[in-house]
Amino acid sequence: MSTAALYVRGLAKTFGGLRAVDDVSFTVPHGSLTALIGPNGAGKTTLFNLITNFYRPDAGDVRFYGESLAGVAPGRIAERGLVRTFQSARIFPGMTTLENALVGAHLQVRAGPLAQMLWLGSARREERALFARAEALLELVGLAAQRDSAATDLPMGAQKLLEVVRALMARPRLLLLDEPAAGLNDSETAELAALLRAIRANGITVVLVEHNMSLVMGVADQVVVLDAGTVLASGTPAQMQSDRRVIEAYIGQDAGVN
Amino acid sequence: MTEAIQIVLGGLMQGSVFAIVALGFSLVFRVTGAINLAQGAFCILGALLTYSLDQHFGWPMATAVAGAAAITALVGLVIGAAIFVPALSRLPMSSMLILTAGLLTMVEGLVLVVWGSQPYALPPFSGEAPVELFGVRVTTQGFWIIGAAAAIIVCLWYLLMRTAAGKALRACAENPMAARLMGINVARATLASFVLAAFIGGLGGIVVGPITSLEFDTGRFFTVYGFIAVAIGGLGSFVGAVVGGLMLGVVEQLAAGYVSSMFADSLAFALLLVVLLWRPNGLFSADLGRRTDVREGQRIYPPIVRLQGRTAAILGALAVLGLVLLPALTSSISVMSSLVITGILFIALLGLDLLMGYTGQVSLGQAGFMAIGGYAAAILATNHGWSPLAGTAAGMLLSVACAIVLSLFTMRLRGHSLALATLAFGLLVDSLTVGLTDLTGGPSGLVGIPSFAIGSLVFDTPTKTYYLLIALIVALVLLLLGGVRSSFGRALQAVRTDQTAASALGVNVARHKLIVLSISAALASLSGSLYAFNFHFLSPEMVGTSVSLALISMLVLGGEGTLVGPLFGAALLTMLPTIVEPLASYKTFASGALLVLALRYLPGGMYGAAVTRIRRLVGARAAAAGLAPATGGLR
Repeated sequence: MSTAALYVRGLAKTFGGLRAVDDVSFTVPHGSLTALIGPNGAGKTTLFNLITNFYRPDAGDVRFYGESLAGVAPGRIAERGLVRTFQSARIFPGMTTLENALVGAHLQVRAGPLAQMLWLGSARREERALFARAEALLELVGLAAQRDSAATDLPMGAQKLLEVVRALMARPRLLLLDEPAAGLNDSETAELAALLRAIRANGITVVLVEHNMSLVMGVADQVVVLDAGTVLASGTPAQMQSDRRVIEAYIGQDAGVN
Repeated sequence: MTEAIQIVLGGLMQGSVFAIVALGFSLVFRVTGAINLAQGAFCILGALLTYSLDQHFGWPMATAVAGAAAITALVGLVIGAAIFVPALSRLPMSSMLILTAGLLTMVEGLVLVVWGSQPYALPPFSGEAPVELFGVRVTTQGFWIIGAAAAIIVCLWYLLMRTAAGKALRACAENPMAARLMGINVARATLASFVLAAFIGGLGGIVVGPITSLEFDTGRFFTVYGFIAVAIGGLGSFVGAVVGGLMLGVVEQLAAGYVSSMFADSLAFALLLVVLLWRPNGLFSADLGRRTDVREGQRIYPPIVRLQGRTAAILGALAVLGLVLLPALTSSISVMSSLVITGILFIALLGLDLLMGYTGQVSLGQAGFMAIGGYAAAILATNHGWSPLAGTAAGMLLSVACAIVLSLFTMRLRGHSLALATLAFGLLVDSLTVGLTDLTGGPSGLVGIPSFAIGSLVFDTPTKTYYLLIALIVALVLLLLGGVRSSFGRALQAVRTDQTAASALGVNVARHKLIVLSISAALASLSGSLYAFNFHFLSPEMVGTSVSLALISMLVLGGEGTLVGPLFGAALLTMLPTIVEPLASYKTFASGALLVLALRYLPGGMYGAAVTRIRRLVGARAAAAGLAPATGGLR
């Protein structure tokens, strides 16, 4: 259990009278790709915000590779190797695609502001190495040609991919992706699936909130189904597809299990 | 006891004026989400218009008041329709703040051109004779002020809560998108609120006119006190505006009566900080429930202006060469000294660009740090036998210490609090430089300041100072360039647009803000010291709030977030009045008007426009040579 990448027990959060997340527990094994699914309002994004301490939980415990995250400021979470993306791609306006990707590597940089201001050799070499890595990742997702364009000029799908690249630049141990496929067309979704497999192959654990069932069924090792703030079921994608409760929760909704 | 009643009554009178200004603030903020710093300018405009209509045109007082209020509303209508409302849907909120600072400067400049810089006073509405009330003598003007405030409050409440037009305004405040879908003309409702606020502000200025000394720049005090009142009461809350205004008035009068009028400003500032630390949203936080996401949608951020490595190096070297050879082209002392002033201001602008252009932290009090640096270095070098270099260093340390204390206070505050805290800080320094006569020489200034010197090398001519500045500026630009093109600069730009996403990537937002505020304070301080050594003289208005506002104009005009761009803005606004003498009296107006125009028509500033041309040229040449066309980077 101590080797689990993410260990969530009894997490709860109430907004006003609404139990947005109610006694949620699940475990994400190291090196796996876990998908969180569920109807709109099931509490998926709230769960992400609780794990990364953007909201303070009312109850519950989150352990990241055995260490408790209670009371760790959101800005310090990334230092531990837990990096998240946002539901609406939050790329930085006023910066190029390449610069956006490089912001992700902020914690990798050893040189301080003073060394950078003095143009010290060590700082320049470090910068060049980061540029090379960012360019390689942009190449991988097909954004190399737009490296010097304003990132806000990219289409929505490309912005979502750029946000994943930016998160990867942080060399995370665990990546929390909030609906990375939203706004992507079919071929972009296929590219994303390939990217997710490549990320997992590199030993990075992934937790994914996603509505696109074909993507989830295609790449996930484990699926956790949330409904009305509670865990309805969890298991392999195949188990979930035949689970009666899961199908009930989705009846009348656009489940899209195809 | 009589004295206490007298003071409290005086406070309520003063406070009623603050409340009137604060109501205008809250009205515009509720409907648009923007803080209109030009609010105070309408007060002074209304009061001076009344003066002219009454004294010069011989109108009866009542007609003059009505006429002045109507003209003020008309000016509000023109500014609102031509500038404010169109900008709302395009500019990010931080730029809106700068825009309204530009409007404030523009109206102040207009007042300066029409009325000059001498103080005016309106005659009291109902004679000089005070009346006896509870055993204390009260000026009758006080009843006019309190009565006007009460009437405005009642009318505003009725308009907003009991009429269809008021309901439309409230709908725009809650959710402009939905209001538009419901068939409300949001642009017109927004304009209406702006004009109404201008009208209210004008009335406030008119009723307080008889008990205030009216000068062209009195408007900014109305702005600041009105803002402090809303910040105490709660931004957007009308009850808060009134309570905050009255509280501020009473506290200020008590401080002036029992402590010293010199520290009244300082106490107002302290009251603001205490309330904000205790209740960051003010006493009556308006539960607006505004959906920020619907408004912040398609904001235009300045274009990304980057010159690629080799082009930048070649152009930079050519520019430095040109600047070194420049003195050979002119024999005019006045041109040389304005070049020196340009250079000195550019040092402060480098810091301001790092703070505002890169990190998005608007500072309206940068000249406050110039004053600290200027006075510290000048006093130490003139009266205490320190070397100018040591005095300058001491000033910089003191400025950084002040910046750290200031950011401890502003850290907890959100939104535009830094902008307003820095404005209050600048005005506090203003009042101290005027008030601490023994130390600073007061309004008449500090004389006999030596020339800047490094060891035995004395910079006592404009040409020598010019070369010192070139060396200093080249070194500073290289240092800052190294910083901004590395992870440090990228972190700052991330903080500028999205602090949540930046901190999710491990960027320590508070630490970066503290570092840039400290750097910008140190550079402003350095610039202030050099200013004092260059003129051998330093007076409060040389490093006052007008300079803070002028610096912002120079920054935006030259190009934010470009480091070297502000040099063009500084050169334009400094050299133009020197070269074309008759323009000198239009300087303030031009500074504000150019700022407003630049925000509208020149999003990347002068430097951005120039770089776009150069890149197109380089790109065209590369394409002609059969190379791959240079990709984007510019829109």
